Amino acid sequence: MRSLCSSLLALLFVGCASYPVKQGLQPFDPVPSEQVNAGKSIPATSRTSVASAPTEVINPYFSDISKDYVYKAKIAAFDTSFGGLLIIKKLGPAHHRIVFTTEMGNTIFDFTFKEDDFKVNRILRKMDRKILITLLKRDFKVLIEAHPEVLETFTDQKDIVRETNILSKKHYFYFADTRLHKIVRAGDGKEKVVFLFSEVKDGLAENVRILHKTIPLTITLKSI
Amino acid sequence: MTRSEADALKTAVREQADTVETITSNFTQYKHLDFLSDAIESKGKLAFRAPDLVKWEYVTPFSYSIIFKNNTLYINDDGNKSTLDLGGNKIFTQLNQLITASIRGDLFDEKQFDISYFKEDGDSVVHFAPKDAQFAEFINAFHLTFNTSGDVIEVKMIEPSGDYTQIVFSGRKTNTPLSDAVFMQ
Repeated sequence: MRSLCSSLLALLFVGCASYPVKQGLQPFDPVPSEQVNAGKSIPATSRTSVASAPTEVINPYFSDISKDYVYKAKIAAFDTSFGGLLIIKKLGPAHHRIVFTTEMGNTIFDFTFKEDDFKVNRILRKMDRKILITLLKRDFKVLIEAHPEVLETFTDQKDIVRETNILSKKHYFYFADTRLHKIVRAGDGKEKVVFLFSEVKDGLAENVRILHKTIPLTITLKSI
Repeated sequence: MTRSEADALKTAVREQADTVETITSNFTQYKHLDFLSDAIESKGKLAFRAPDLVKWEYVTPFSYSIIFKNNTLYINDDGNKSTLDLGGNKIFTQLNQLITASIRGDLFDEKQFDISYFKEDGDSVVHFAPKDAQFAEFINAFHLTFNTSGDVIEVKMIEPSGDYTQIVFSGRKTNTPLSDAVFMQ
């Protein structure tokens, strides 16, 4: 009986466990104790990598004010799929404009993110639904947030994983050799949305994929 | 432009449009957004066959084509093919008519547009503002530039925000035979 109770408690614990626990992430210690004990010196760079200052850029992909980020986009939602061009432009320290147009140039939606404000400049009447706008706002906010405050740092033995808070949701930034390649939005300890960045050249992610795990929605971006 | 110059242009364009069976042309598209450092440039080919077959094919920097045929829009997005029935879609049907008319130059329908005429560097520029409120949600005005022969050399689609798409045609050829295969997806 006692073991059954413990198992149930354990199950309950895992069921309610946070994302890092469920993923088996370990707190990241950049200064392994055995190295300190051995009196070895640790390079300054590894010491500073554990926690980021609020201004430190941890997502560099849409942070260059001199660049026009233009992507061929494909949105597969439920059983339909449509394409267009997604244009992201940084206009100031915490100011972005995001516009989606058809290939022929007609604007489908046009959003402004400035500090904590979000403004819909334009959206096709057919798409003007609060639930859709909120979903796009959440996804794009993650793409453009260059330096969210890092709450904790973990490792899964392969990557450094930084826990952040974006629009009141926990997001985990995965770095391989200091390069950001994945962001996970977690809820109830599970992956809700995964953002993947690949083919990074000169600070530009040529391919970006946003995969929703709880609804059939995938956004694929290819730099042009 | 004077009233008689405008009438002469309309006549020349209509006569030209009536003789056109096919058109092929290269195009360069510039999408202007006021906040971007540079316009977004794309290039492709256009094919038209009277009365209403149109193919827009973007070649660079992405591969994408659309064919307007039998009230259907055939899309080939880098190998992913799809179709869109335009039967019940007034906006797309109208857009198709406008595209066809603008390629031929024959947009002069005063029931549908408020039309105004201008002269620029020897070319004629005509502004067409849609009267239909539903259409005006997408496009504020079309500006068509005609050369002295009455050919359309540039189309500008201006959105309500003031941002616009400019399409510049080059290497235009008329009445070279175009087979059905050209308009296959």
